[in-house]
Amino acid sequence: MLSGDRKLNHVWRILATGFVFVLFGIGALVISVTMFPLLRLSTRNADTARRRIQHGMQFVFRAFMETMRVLGILTYRVEGIERLREPGRLIVANHPTLIDVVLLVSQMPEVDCIVKRGLWRNPFLRWPVSWAGYLQNAAGEELIEQCSASLRRGHSLLVFPEGTRTVPGEPMRMQRGAAHIALAADAQILPVRITCDPPTLFKGNPWYRVPARRFHMDMIVGEPVAARSFMRDLEAPARSARRLTRWIQTQTETGRVSQPMDLEASESAWLADPAQQHLIR
Amino acid sequence: MSESFKSREEILERLKVVLADLFELKAEQIVPEANLYTDLDIDSIDAVDLFLTLKEITGRKIQPQAFKDVRTVDDVIDAIQTLTSKPAG
Repeated sequence: MLSGDRKLNHVWRILATGFVFVLFGIGALVISVTMFPLLRLSTRNADTARRRIQHGMQFVFRAFMETMRVLGILTYRVEGIERLREPGRLIVANHPTLIDVVLLVSQMPEVDCIVKRGLWRNPFLRWPVSWAGYLQNAAGEELIEQCSASLRRGHSLLVFPEGTRTVPGEPMRMQRGAAHIALAADAQILPVRITCDPPTLFKGNPWYRVPARRFHMDMIVGEPVAARSFMRDLEAPARSARRLTRWIQTQTETGRVSQPMDLEASESAWLADPAQQHLIR
Repeated sequence: MSESFKSREEILERLKVVLADLFELKAEQIVPEANLYTDLDIDSIDAVDLFLTLKEITGRKIQPQAFKDVRTVDDVIDAIQTLTSKPAG
């Protein structure tokens, strides 16, 4: 039985969460007919407009994070923020909650994101997402080509290598697309590990099932590593991509810092670990 | 390096070596009924590397549509047999 105060707090957080969900939906519509067109029209240069819009997105998402914090829904902390602001990096993160992208973008003045294809058919959102320079979630090679082109232009790019939210209690299932992008662009990879305690807003958890207490999100930005350090002479990209994907997984899953040099040694141990068999089979 | 393949068994043996090396697999996983995508965890990007390698070992031009419907190791063997039964050129 919950005590009176705790029960009140619980009901408050359900109402507040419902409110921010509505706010998010309405806010998205409002900024697509105000902020986005105004920033687009603020200059004739499409690239300048893209950068202004991305700065605008950071501001909006920052305001959204702060709204949730002030309403008592969550607390959050970011470690290594300065490393997020270096351009031209592939940022790879695990994906425990619905709002990971909000937290990440709220800390990055400029970042390209991959957005659901369907948004290009949405009359309100199709122009904003193109003005922002966001990339369409296309199939296989086409997406990898677009993403590596964005990195080669010196943009930073945010990718969730799992392709969807992490299912709590199950091993992470990394796809290898992020590794292929980094290898194709010869980019620096920046691993980010996000935790959420108690778990909430994970896949399959409806918004109104709020956790027992206000949740805390921790975002730890790792150290960048060059994709090329995962390549070996005369090796097919398929192998380098598998090696790099394992590194991304250990970095975002455990946050254990390891340099690619240590990887060779840890690799044999890793390959022998039965918990990882689903990845290598 | 072109090779002539006589039987399906020979092709399978060669595929075991090639796939194991390319995709970090164990030879015993590479059986005719294994599905490339679900059982062997080969993705669409990996498939490009597979084409290039098959091109090298068969010495033939490979049309991507020849591999459009390939799902299993057995299908790969079929495709290689079809390719190598035609005169080179």
